[in-house]
Amino acid sequence: MDNLWTTALAGLIAFAAFGIICGLALAYAAQRFAVKVDPKIEAVRACLPGAN
Amino acid sequence: MKTSKFLITASLSLIMLLLALAPVMAESVGHGSFDKDKAITISFGIPVDEAWAKDPSNFDVYEKPDPDIKLAVDSVELDPRRIKATLQFKEPLNLAAEYMVDAKNIASDGKIVGTRQFSVKKSETQVLFGLLLGAMLISNFVFTKYLGLCIFFGVSQKKDTAIGMGITFTTVMVLSAIMCWALYTFVLQPFNLSFLRIIVFIGTVAIFVQAVDTMLRKVNPYLFKRLGVYLVLITTNCIILAVPLENADGSHGPIASFTYALGAGVGFAIALFLMACVREKLEVSRVPPVFQGLPIAFIVAGLFALAFLGFSGLAIF
Repeated sequence: MDNLWTTALAGLIAFAAFGIICGLALAYAAQRFAVKVDPKIEAVRACLPGAN
Repeated sequence: MKTSKFLITASLSLIMLLLALAPVMAESVGHGSFDKDKAITISFGIPVDEAWAKDPSNFDVYEKPDPDIKLAVDSVELDPRRIKATLQFKEPLNLAAEYMVDAKNIASDGKIVGTRQFSVKKSETQVLFGLLLGAMLISNFVFTKYLGLCIFFGVSQKKDTAIGMGITFTTVMVLSAIMCWALYTFVLQPFNLSFLRIIVFIGTVAIFVQAVDTMLRKVNPYLFKRLGVYLVLITTNCIILAVPLENADGSHGPIASFTYALGAGVGFAIALFLMACVREKLEVSRVPPVFQGLPIAFIVAGLFALAFLGFSGLAIF
C-alpha cells in the first residue's frame, strides 16, 4: 500500500510540475505571438444566425 | 588553490589508469564485423595455425542473449597473412543482433595461446542510418502502415500547403519524440508508471501542437489559414503517437529516438509532397464522374503504396 502511494504521488508531482512549466511557457508564447483581432468581427458574427 | 591542484592530479591519474587498462580491455573482448549477412570476419592480431583455424568446431558462435543456442559454422577461411578469419554460416544472420564468437584454444606456431572472445555487432551509425531509412522509405508510415491518413488526404491538394504541413509535422514530431523519450526514461519507467504512456505522450504532443499553432498564427497567417483544422488535428495523428510508442517499446536511446522521429517526419513529408504533385495534375485531368475527388485520391495512394513496396528489402549496410 505504501508503495502504491509513493507511485501515485511521484506521478502526480512529476506531471503537475511538467504541466505547470509547459502551461507557463505556452501562456508566455501566446502573449509574445499575440495577433490583434478586430473585436467588431466577433460582434458582427454574434449577430448573424451562423447557420453556415 | 589546493582543491584545483587535487582535481588536476585526480583527473590525470584517472586518465593514466584508463590508459593502462585500455589494452587489457581490448585484449579481453575483441571485435569482429559482419561480412554480408552470412559471414563474420574476426581478426586475431597474431598469425594462427591454418589447421586449427580450418576446424569449425573451434569456434562457438551465439547471439549474446542466448549463449546456449550455438550457430552452425559452415566453413572458415583464413587470409594469406593468417591473421583474419572469415566464418561462413549456412543460415543468414540477424544483422540487428549482437553476436559473440568464442575462439577456443587458439593455436599459433604450434603453441596453444588461449581462448579469445569476439563481439560482433553493427556500429551505432549503421544502426541509426537503418532506423532513418526504415522510417522514411522502407516502412513509410503512410504507404506501408497506413497511418495518419486523415492529414494525408486533407492537406495534399496543393504543393505549398503540403510542404508547409510536412515541415510543421516533422518539427512537432521530432520535438515531441525527444520530450516523450525524456518523460518515459526519467519519469514513467523509474516510477513504474509505463501504463500511463499513451495519455502522457498525447499530452506532450498537444503541448507542442499548441505552441506551433500559436506561433504559426503570427509568423505565417497564410499557411495557418490553409492548414485550417488539420493543424490541430496533428495532435490526434496516428504517426505522431506511433513514433514515441515504438521508441518506448524498442527502448531507443535519445539519438535513436531523434533519428526515428526525423525519419518518420521526413517520410510523411515525402508522402504528402508526392501526393500533392499528383493531385494538382488530377485537378485538370478528365476523371470519370464516379471517381472525382477523394475516390481517385485513394486509388493514387494505393498505387503509391504498391510503388513503395519496391523499397522493402533495401539494405545499404
